[in-house]
Amino acid sequence: MAINVKVLDRPIADTSYLRATVKGMALTLKHLVDPHKVTVQYPEEKWTLSPRWRGTHRMLTTEDGTAKCVACGLCPTVCPANCIKLVPGEDEEGNRYPLVFEIDEFRCIFCGYCQEVCPEEAIHVGRHYENAEYSRDGFVYDLERLTAQTHPVCEMWDPADPKGE
Amino acid sequence: MTAPMVNLTIEGRAVAVPAGTTILEAAKVAGVLVPHYCYHPGLPVAGVCRMCLVEVEKMPKLAPSCATTVGEGQVVHVYSEKALEARKGVLELLLINHPLDCPICDQSGECELQDYTFAEGRADSRYREPKRFNPVEDFGGDVMYVPNRCILCTRCVRFMDDLAHDEALCVQERGDRASIGKATEKDLTHPWAANVVDLCPVGALLSKDFLNKARAWELDRTASVCPNCAQGCNTIVETRDNVVMRFKPRTNTEVNQYFLCDEGRLDYRWLNRADRATQPMIDGVLADWEEAIHAAARLAKGATVRLVANASLSNEALYLLKRAFGPGVITVRTGAEAPLPGASDLALRADRAANATGAEWMGYRRVSAPLEGLGAGDVLVIADHDLTGVSAEAVSRAKAVIVIGTQVPAAVTAPNVVLPIANMAEEEGTFTNLRGRVQRFLQAKAAPGMARPSWFVLADLATQLGQPAVHFTAGAVFDALAKAEGAFAGLSYDTVALKGKLAAGATAGARA
Repeated sequence: MAINVKVLDRPIADTSYLRATVKGMALTLKHLVDPHKVTVQYPEEKWTLSPRWRGTHRMLTTEDGTAKCVACGLCPTVCPANCIKLVPGEDEEGNRYPLVFEIDEFRCIFCGYCQEVCPEEAIHVGRHYENAEYSRDGFVYDLERLTAQTHPVCEMWDPADPKGE
Repeated sequence: MTAPMVNLTIEGRAVAVPAGTTILEAAKVAGVLVPHYCYHPGLPVAGVCRMCLVEVEKMPKLAPSCATTVGEGQVVHVYSEKALEARKGVLELLLINHPLDCPICDQSGECELQDYTFAEGRADSRYREPKRFNPVEDFGGDVMYVPNRCILCTRCVRFMDDLAHDEALCVQERGDRASIGKATEKDLTHPWAANVVDLCPVGALLSKDFLNKARAWELDRTASVCPNCAQGCNTIVETRDNVVMRFKPRTNTEVNQYFLCDEGRLDYRWLNRADRATQPMIDGVLADWEEAIHAAARLAKGATVRLVANASLSNEALYLLKRAFGPGVITVRTGAEAPLPGASDLALRADRAANATGAEWMGYRRVSAPLEGLGAGDVLVIADHDLTGVSAEAVSRAKAVIVIGTQVPAAVTAPNVVLPIANMAEEEGTFTNLRGRVQRFLQAKAAPGMARPSWFVLADLATQLGQPAVHFTAGAVFDALAKAEGAFAGLSYDTVALKGKLAAGATAGARA
């Protein structure tokens, strides 16, 4: 039994593809004369990041190259993703320093609370996004890795907008 | 004779307190905390910090509430504009030379300077000059001194003078150069000296043992009793990730007031031992709990049993051991007694065991050689005893050895049955101190492996030995014990609560 198919009799102006083709070609030709570029030729070209971009971490160092961190324990306390592992130690002069400082960048949600809470301005989220690794372990950044990073760090607040802070 | 009551109003709340009470203490009754540094209920009043200034109507000036006694009809304003302004000024001056090194300070998180500055202090400092600096000093004992953080409340000085009767500390220099110093040729070696660390409201006096180990906000706190001597000081066991990090004194004016001795507070590491018995075993082979209990019962049934118990086992464990095997013997390690002279009836006791009194009340005999006269056919039951000074040959005389404990003692080479139990930080129960005060301790951490609370294991074992003891909580065991043992008559787990109760067996007139 045949299905009852209702066949509409539409006007030729609606069913012809000619009109749509001309419209599409017109747009293409418009871009030919007005090259409004959207595609970035990555990796030759790179996007400029916002000063408030929050990417993988970086630990700042003092002049002598040691991490600024004093192992106060505020960043693991404030971290909502629980991705910071910190074991405090003490050097020969009785100064506190981090014996172990590890950030699991896979667990991290890049909220930037660690940077905001740090009283020593040691840990920062970075303006950086190229994080490929060959193994999952590579995403647990230890202190050595964190201090070796050189990319610029997040501003947290838009420097142009004083109301931000 | 009781003092007549005085009525006054604090922050709009009417309170009645005995005459002679200070405004600060009266405010506590009214539920108002007046910020204070130099005042401590366990120490004489000094009135040096000026932090507890409050406005009292009809008084011309602000009054230091720690040193002002209440008067009939007084109206006290703790949070009036004038009082807040004065305290804000005090805080600003205290912070002038303070290094503001909270991130690296051990007191951070439990610091009164932090708390009150956050609550009432200025947001910033107007002081632009360089800060005074003094190096860190070792005070001896477990104490180190960071002079830059000191606010000169003199609590430590008053503790050493008036409680310890050992004038080891004093305020040296004057004016802005003042700091706490050791008296000539003195060290903080008094056996109670580490209390100055607890008394210090800021991070100036720190425990070397706890230094940089943990942050205050990471610790879980559990009410407990110090297991290290017969005094039974009330403590708070502070743990992090299932590891005991430190002991702190818990206020109990009937036993230890606000204090805890150095030996007691620093002897907590054994609670974290890793070499524990964690699995029930029969003849060296891992077994199920049920099999192990049955095996132990089979060995003990009808045999002559020599029970050697640890005098720091809980009342509950000792009672159930007695039900199962009859009272056994205990050994008590002794040491020098070290009193805190300024507090009445408070000392590090010669008996370094928590529950020798409870054990003796239940009929356990105190001996020096626990295995003396052990017969060849006897069954040896070791209840958490370490058998120090006992040779393996002495143990091997026994027909069978049942170990109910946290560890298998070195002298026991081939235990027939091992029943692993929790240590005192891993279970709840009660201790009886040397004055006959029964005090409860709570569970602070989890027991390792398959170890079970001692009362749980021993209730099963007693039942298997024909002494039905079906209890589902430590409290139920204690209530059964209170019914069965005359010395504990009238007590119940609920009424003992967290401050303890004197048992019927206590010597008349004893207060601790």
